[in-house]
Amino acid sequence: MTQLDTDYRKYLQPKTLARIASLDLRARLIVEGLMAGMHRSPYQGISVEFAQHRQYVPGDDIRHVDWKVFAKTDKIYLKQYLEETNLHLICVVDASQSMGYSSIRDDGATWSKYDHATAIAASLAYMAVQQQDSVGLAIFDSELKRFFKPSNSPGQWKVVAKELMQVSRLRKTQTGRVLDQIAEKLTHRSLIVLLSDFFDDIDSLRKGLRHLRYRKHEVMAFQILDPMEIEFPFEDVTLFKGLEDLGELLTEPRSLRASYLAELNAFTDELKRTCRGMHIDFTRMNSGEPLDVALSAFLATRSASIK
Amino acid sequence: MATTLAFAFVSPLFFWAGLALAAIPIIIHILNRRRFRLVPWAAMDFLLRAMRKNRRRLRFEQWLLLVTRCLIMLLAGLALARPLGCQSSTLANLAGRRTGLHVFVIDNSYPMAYQANRPGARTQLDQAKIIAKALIRRLSSGGESVAIVTAGRPAAAVIASPAYDLAAAQAAVDRIEQSYGGTDEAGALALARDIARADSASANKSLYLIDDSTRVAWQGGGDALQRLGRELADLYKTGITHFNLSVPGQSNRAVVALSCAQSLVTDRFPADFVADVRAYGPGPAQSKLVWTIDDQAAAPGAVAVNASPQASPSTYTATALSGGIHVIAASIDGQDPLRIDDTRYCVVDVVSQLKVLIVEGERGVGGMGSSGAFLDTALNPGGNDRKSSYVATERISDLELGNKILGDYRCICLCGVGQIQESTAADLEKFVRQGGTLMLFMGDPVTAENYNATLYKHHLLPGPLTKRVTVGADQPPRRFAFDPKGVLHRLLADFAGHMNTGMEAAEIYSYWQVDVAPDSKVERVLDFLPAEDAPHAPPDPAITVHSLGAGRVLFYATSADPNSEWTTFMAHQAYPALMHMLILGTVGGGSDWMNLSVGQALTVPPSIKLTASPSLKDPRQIEVPLRQTTDADGQSVYRSPPLQRPGLYSLATGLANDKIAVNLPPQEADVRPIDDAALRLALGGIDLRLEGDAVPAQTAAVEPPKDLGWGVMLAVLVLLAGECFLAMTFGHYRRA
Repeated sequence: MTQLDTDYRKYLQPKTLARIASLDLRARLIVEGLMAGMHRSPYQGISVEFAQHRQYVPGDDIRHVDWKVFAKTDKIYLKQYLEETNLHLICVVDASQSMGYSSIRDDGATWSKYDHATAIAASLAYMAVQQQDSVGLAIFDSELKRFFKPSNSPGQWKVVAKELMQVSRLRKTQTGRVLDQIAEKLTHRSLIVLLSDFFDDIDSLRKGLRHLRYRKHEVMAFQILDPMEIEFPFEDVTLFKGLEDLGELLTEPRSLRASYLAELNAFTDELKRTCRGMHIDFTRMNSGEPLDVALSAFLATRSASIK
Repeated sequence: MATTLAFAFVSPLFFWAGLALAAIPIIIHILNRRRFRLVPWAAMDFLLRAMRKNRRRLRFEQWLLLVTRCLIMLLAGLALARPLGCQSSTLANLAGRRTGLHVFVIDNSYPMAYQANRPGARTQLDQAKIIAKALIRRLSSGGESVAIVTAGRPAAAVIASPAYDLAAAQAAVDRIEQSYGGTDEAGALALARDIARADSASANKSLYLIDDSTRVAWQGGGDALQRLGRELADLYKTGITHFNLSVPGQSNRAVVALSCAQSLVTDRFPADFVADVRAYGPGPAQSKLVWTIDDQAAAPGAVAVNASPQASPSTYTATALSGGIHVIAASIDGQDPLRIDDTRYCVVDVVSQLKVLIVEGERGVGGMGSSGAFLDTALNPGGNDRKSSYVATERISDLELGNKILGDYRCICLCGVGQIQESTAADLEKFVRQGGTLMLFMGDPVTAENYNATLYKHHLLPGPLTKRVTVGADQPPRRFAFDPKGVLHRLLADFAGHMNTGMEAAEIYSYWQVDVAPDSKVERVLDFLPAEDAPHAPPDPAITVHSLGAGRVLFYATSADPNSEWTTFMAHQAYPALMHMLILGTVGGGSDWMNLSVGQALTVPPSIKLTASPSLKDPRQIEVPLRQTTDADGQSVYRSPPLQRPGLYSLATGLANDKIAVNLPPQEADVRPIDDAALRLALGGIDLRLEGDAVPAQTAAVEPPKDLGWGVMLAVLVLLAGECFLAMTFGHYRRA
């Protein structure tokens, strides 16, 4: 069991994933690795139409045991139903220039915030498609660059993965405006997973999120930050060259560290307060840490929405 | 009025180096601004906002740290430069601390036992200790160090490595003992020089010379003292202070010498003992001298002596000395401030029977037929009759010489011995070196080849035998170059003024010519007159004497045998007298090793018969260790360490209990002080601070300038701590 834990968790480590070029493979490894540790089939559908019986195996939910069959045959069988789509998952991924920042390197491979975001998006999409949920995708920077309507076709996940890998990141962010556009495009009530560093104007962001909530969408916000951005561990004199045309600054970072972190945390706290006020799940993620946090949060939210 | 800043530097170079080093933080700052990492940064907005809010504070912090770091470098250089604040400097008084090396040269030679009877100080040495301790008490604990040298011969460093424990230094002063040797000012100053050279770190070096300023101590050193004085003046920058402990009217009477006039004292003849009594200073010139023999007062009691700084010999003739060891003492009667040199001892070994071995090269028929018979008769006319002569002779042939224990005899006479074996020559050399006397008389059997190959090789001839000179039948005989009215060798002194002794009339027909090197130490006792046909030719030696080790060798160029017809001298009345004079003049008393000076070691000669391990006790009856060792001839001898206390020592040899006399060095008795100018001159004319015999008042003038180095270094440490604190507070430190 311990061995199994060790094995699957290594696929959740960014440094491991950075060495795997294919995003769909990354997503499969993440999801299979995560689920292998849960002793429970993630694909058990929630439906009303009975399909067949299946023999009980340890780890199955005993809520689905057919007690009548057990009384007649003295054997334990589970009732299985035809699965049906009950969720529209929209992954909204920030592909701005700031998301390209990466300090994680392993054998020449880098792991940027964007890599972290796409890995999460692809994993969620894969998981949703496997459960016959509809998956949509929105990729944006200063504008909405790609938008795919939700679909539960098995090929949808491939499309999502392909698009996530192809998008270039060269422009500034205007998240608030893009969220407005997405809110206008979505017709069904959806679960919107927003993956971004949110390095943007907080008022416009607040406005965009409010628009989504107004349209009754469930929103999960994942702020993805690089370990360097979180810790700011620089020692020597450094010329910081701002991405997204924010100028440059030559300074002695040791003296500025405390102030920088205070600014960053103040922004994150403000963001968190904003989200909480709109009943939006907000999670700050470190791109240097395993991805199971995001996936577990997603599964919990999905379960809650089904109940 | 106090001066705020008045600095000199011990090492100015460090100050300039500090100034230069102060630029290093600025250079590093500038270089750091040029050498930076380029980092693309996404969260730039937060960084810029942080910068905008803290720009002024950051600039202030950077400047504060930069200034602090520059100050640290500057002050570190200043501290190493060791600024010296002058006496009136306010800053020096506040932050300065006295540092430096203080070397005390304390004379503990025997004249320092002079009883000046000052309050609390009986002797001069006591006063010297009081002055030294008072000066040490004034030193700054922890900053000033002390070294102590004693000037009693041999000079010694009591504290060679500068000690900062001032209490221990005072205790070391207290432990200085009165020495009984002379003064070794040159040695002491050389030690003081070496100590100053070794302690190059100290900027302030002070030298204190505490002594009685005697002329013997300061004027006997010559150029060496002057050279040392100049070297010391260069090393001891803070100054050299001399404390003159001499008192007005300082005087001393002393017995500076005591010896026996004869080299051999027998129980048959009176022996003259000569004491040299001197008086130095303005004390009474008339002194009374008391002679004692073996602690018994000798007649005629106290003898009046008119002593002066010049030699004033006083002779005592001892007439009835029995054979054996006797101690003769000469003491000045009466009070004297320096009593220790008022008595002098002389140990004499009185011979009751002088054993002489006569070795004959030719044995003849009848009583006088052999080559040594006439000599035997001359030395001991009574034969075996003990009462007739102090000389006990024994005649043997040269063939028997190898069987004899030579150490049993005081003198060996070789009379016309022809062939000397190598081993015999070696034994004879050893015999002479141990104090024996060898007398060589020529004769027909003597060959130059054999003598030169054996005796000359073993240093038993004054020179190689070159030619046998024989006067032809038609030529006049040769004679001794003897003039009783002229200058005579000391061995012939008894002939002085006596005409017609036969010395000048003796006829010599044959003798061996010996080639004495002009630069040799051979004494020519008597020469032959040149031949008449060559009146200007250099005279050939007839009798020579030379020393070898502790003994002597006498060479007699012609024969002692009247049968050989080499000379008619034996027919003259002077012959027996000359033989006795030669014996008495060359045979040593054998007591030299028992008369020593302070500082000399006792060596028990191998000729002394021991029946037990010898033991030596000093005048206080304290055992002095004797170590068994080997002398230059490879013989086992017992040797003591240098004997430092004057007086009579007891040497137990098993058979006897002998006395050893250890006397004070005579020249130190002159306690007359020299004046200041002469003292300066003796030390090469250097600048000298002169003090009297009292502890000087503590004035600012004698205090050395205070060293601000430690104060500045403290400021550097405070700044360093401040820099660390500021850097940590401002976030300018590198995290682990």
